[in-house]
Amino acid sequence: MVFVPSDRLIDIFALMARHERQGAKEGSLSLAAAEITNVTGAGIVLSPGDSQMTNFGTSNDVATELLELEMTLREGPYVDACAGEVAEDVDLLSSSKPRWILYTPSAIDIGARAVFSFPVRIGSIRLGALGLYRDEPGELTYEQSSDAFLMASVVARAMLALQSGSSGEDLSEELEREATFDFTIHQAAGMLSVQARMNVGDALVLLRTHAFATSRSISAMAARIINRETAYDEKSGTWYDEGDIAI
Amino acid sequence: MTRESLVVSTLVELADNLVDNFDVIDVLTFLCDRCVQAVDMDAAGVMLESPGGELQYIASSSDSMRVLELFQIQTDEGPCIDSVRGSKAIINRELRESDNRWPRFSPKAMELGFQSVHCLPMRLRGKSIGALNLFRADVGYLSDEDVLVVQGLADVATIAILQHRSSLDASTLNGQLSQALNSRIIIEQAKGIIAESLKCDMDQAFARLRTHARNHNLGLTDVARGVVAGSIRSADLDAPRARIVK
Repeated sequence: MVFVPSDRLIDIFALMARHERQGAKEGSLSLAAAEITNVTGAGIVLSPGDSQMTNFGTSNDVATELLELEMTLREGPYVDACAGEVAEDVDLLSSSKPRWILYTPSAIDIGARAVFSFPVRIGSIRLGALGLYRDEPGELTYEQSSDAFLMASVVARAMLALQSGSSGEDLSEELEREATFDFTIHQAAGMLSVQARMNVGDALVLLRTHAFATSRSISAMAARIINRETAYDEKSGTWYDEGDIAI
Repeated sequence: MTRESLVVSTLVELADNLVDNFDVIDVLTFLCDRCVQAVDMDAAGVMLESPGGELQYIASSSDSMRVLELFQIQTDEGPCIDSVRGSKAIINRELRESDNRWPRFSPKAMELGFQSVHCLPMRLRGKSIGALNLFRADVGYLSDEDVLVVQGLADVATIAILQHRSSLDASTLNGQLSQALNSRIIIEQAKGIIAESLKCDMDQAFARLRTHARNHNLGLTDVARGVVAGSIRSADLDAPRARIVK
């Protein structure tokens, strides 16, 4: 068997090469994904094994907000795709029961009308998810969806290729450069675990819940905790939110 | 653009996983055809270096190209020879009737109808195994993007030849990736715990973690794991020594 790169694959590489050359520091994969599938925006999450979802690049601000929304709510197309499920056609405005109760109305507020997601994997190895969104409703065409599957496989290889530069113990420099890792969430969870006297896993849930309750993204809430603008009082079981009315 | 460019490393990884049983000549002939189409060339050819160091003609997209490749080997002169020996790319080189660099090769190539040449080394992790020649019947230029695509294709072929698989094993890499990501998360969680317990900032928290790990000859992740699990108290971590001001 001979490896034959299809014309579409060459188009993808040409796009990535162009973004790289134009100096896109990060997210050249998500930019290529949005462009090749001809949608409004795209994002990629890294979630190998059972690890938490990590932002691996987004093509625009709305795509970033959509991804953040899922990290806060733990539901939505990326979450489903990380679990191996394809969400090929989700019209957010359809009158029937929304697929995601919390995610759907917030995603519409942010500006999405249709969302799509594809697992990023090699064989049975799950690495993360590719998400696409459009600012108007409608399904993907057959060509768009096959391009998205092809792009998802390129993303999978790219993730592994980037990591292959490392000795194995650490994240490779190439991978760190490509992804927009946000580790502040984990720092904030650590701080919160001390304030609330609980383990970090529960502290992360507490962080997420409070972010949602105060209409903030999880990373915005994490920043407040690290800056000591928000804190949890374990004795009274209440939050201190600087600049906010006590909740 | 470095060899570790995203495009190239992706291609290498793709090839490594997709090329199973193959015929070298098939792969390289395909590569030549594909390069001609992908970047609008008129001919392409590949030469490989034998273990003894001699160059051998392997594949080409056309017969005139084959003639030219063999001519380079016979006269020991031409872009492919220079590219393999110097392990560097020759891009957008116009041919001239009286060419100081290639006095015999250039007139021969022009006689066969070519006006410009590009040559890319085929190499993997610093090791050069041959070169890919691209010819055009007019004076045309390859963009940086074209060069990346073609170099990527050349790398695919290189991998196919070297069958370098072991270090790019997908499941091993995935295991490493998820381990690296998890240990990074644990370190960040530990920093948060230390910062809150000792009322310091994240940098100071990290300095405590690192100092303690070094002093006790432990891994950073192991100390972080201890802090997160509660078996190491933040207050018990060694503080970095104050810097001595000279």
